[in-house]
Amino acid sequence: MALLEINRVSKFFGGLAANSDISFEVPQGTIMGLIGPNGAGKTTLFNCITGFYPPSRGEILFNHQLMNGLHPDAVCKLGMARTWQKVRPLAKMSVLDNVMVGALCRTNSLRTARSAALEQLKVVHLEHRAGVKAGSLPIGERKKLEVARVLATQPKLLLLDEVMGGLNPAESEELIELILEINKLGITQMVIEHNMRAIMRISDRIVVLNSGEKLAEGSPEEIVANQAVVHAYLGESNA
Amino acid sequence: MKPLLINIKGITTLTILFGIAVVVFLFALPKFVTSTYALHIMILIFISVITGSGWNILGGYTGQYSVGHAAYFGVGAYTTMVLLQYRHIVPWYGIWAGAAVALATGLIIGSICFRLRGPYFVLASIAVAEIFRVSALNLKDLTNGAEGILISDIPPLQIGDTVITDFLSKVPFYYTGLVMAICVIFVTWLVQNSKLGYYFQAIREDQDAAHSLGINLTLYKNAALALSAIFTSFAGSLYALYVGFIDPGTVLDLGLSVQIVMSCIIGGIGTIFGPMIGAIILVPFSEALRSNVIAQALIDSGLVSEQSALGSFLKEQLSHAHVLIYGILLVVVILFMPDGILGFLRKLGAKKRKEAS
Repeated sequence: MALLEINRVSKFFGGLAANSDISFEVPQGTIMGLIGPNGAGKTTLFNCITGFYPPSRGEILFNHQLMNGLHPDAVCKLGMARTWQKVRPLAKMSVLDNVMVGALCRTNSLRTARSAALEQLKVVHLEHRAGVKAGSLPIGERKKLEVARVLATQPKLLLLDEVMGGLNPAESEELIELILEINKLGITQMVIEHNMRAIMRISDRIVVLNSGEKLAEGSPEEIVANQAVVHAYLGESNA
Repeated sequence: MKPLLINIKGITTLTILFGIAVVVFLFALPKFVTSTYALHIMILIFISVITGSGWNILGGYTGQYSVGHAAYFGVGAYTTMVLLQYRHIVPWYGIWAGAAVALATGLIIGSICFRLRGPYFVLASIAVAEIFRVSALNLKDLTNGAEGILISDIPPLQIGDTVITDFLSKVPFYYTGLVMAICVIFVTWLVQNSKLGYYFQAIREDQDAAHSLGINLTLYKNAALALSAIFTSFAGSLYALYVGFIDPGTVLDLGLSVQIVMSCIIGGIGTIFGPMIGAIILVPFSEALRSNVIAQALIDSGLVSEQSALGSFLKEQLSHAHVLIYGILLVVVILFMPDGILGFLRKLGAKKRKEAS
């Protein structure tokens, strides 16, 4: 069953088509990779799905419910949460408070939110940093905090926008493990990533965008073998 | 060893005891301080604490720097006074009417201005407050224009036939201000320790992140503004009743808006006690400047001779320069204590503790 259906979605900025006519489905319980060269429209698509931009055309269906025109907060409450390419810690609040803000999406009680937040911090192995100001964390831990915070909103679908960007190999490895762990919790994920080794390992299926259009879709093996994808990344060979 | 420092919701028992002691002291103060001038200063401090705390909810916690809070102050003051003067409605109802009108105007202003972010919101808030000032100047039938509204006496506060107070001395105003200030601080504490407080601060730190975490920005910004406007209008009403005279130049002035923001910045924004510290420092300070206490003290202490050019300059001019000195103080605080005096003290305390351990 498809949890998320993207149905011929287009997004125009003036005359520029950042997304044009994109369609695909994300089945329940899977990890969907979203790749493409810089400027391919990956983040724009995320913004359309999560309500930050209204799509110019097309439909976004989540759990068979039309999402077009909903605000990001409503989208979050329905169970779709995203992280940001450029991390957005609530800098002057503590790590625990950051995650509590996420948890408060589902409860009005600070006590419940606090214990839920502590649990999420354990999932991402940040519990020892609970009392630290979020702004003072190094980048690797900020990325984990971002994940813990959205997990606390109890999403059915998690959209991760380049969570491994700027991380060293060891930190990336930790996040790969984390994504696989989240998958075991039954949370469907859509992952934008430039780290090819990582995306090939974690994804069940991959969608490739190029210049705002869907270039290919398939299993990681199919994508690696796809000539059009290789061309998009490496350029046409004249030989 | 930490015997007295048990944490209850982020406050230590020591702080609670200290707070209770201060409150008891403040309640007892008029019993042994009879100087009307001292009481006058205290009432001004209370009014400043109420306005500052009101602004702090919106500006400090939610990060929406309104420089138009004179609008709510003025709306509260004018509603109470107009009702009292022309409709003979006693202030104990008038104050609530003022709060209701301030709330309504706040929500109207909010629904328009909250579409803007950062400096654009600041400019919009100034513009709206100016609209109110100019309106009050020109709607002469309602507000008596630039002449303002003067009331000679306030009807006594009665429950049944028992007269609780007749508002003839400063003492009743002192207690009204004190109780209001305590209520406002208590509500701020409640807000800080609730979902509202968390959501307000999340909005301050990053609106987009907050939005994506399920926070309805419009709803929570307006909630912050509502609380803020109500508190500020209470202060406006109290001021109007206490002074007995209002005009657009005092209660709707841009200078007042700036002063509200300043006392918070100097005290420390986004904290419960910041506005209090700001008020305790700024009110006596500006009074001392205005009444030439500082210049006189400099001369009396022999630091500056009265006959010298500097001495006569200080004596003549210092009282007029309080706005300038305010400005310099603000610059110094922003440069050297970006988290305000409270933040500075906390940092100092943390440093000391670090050194000790």
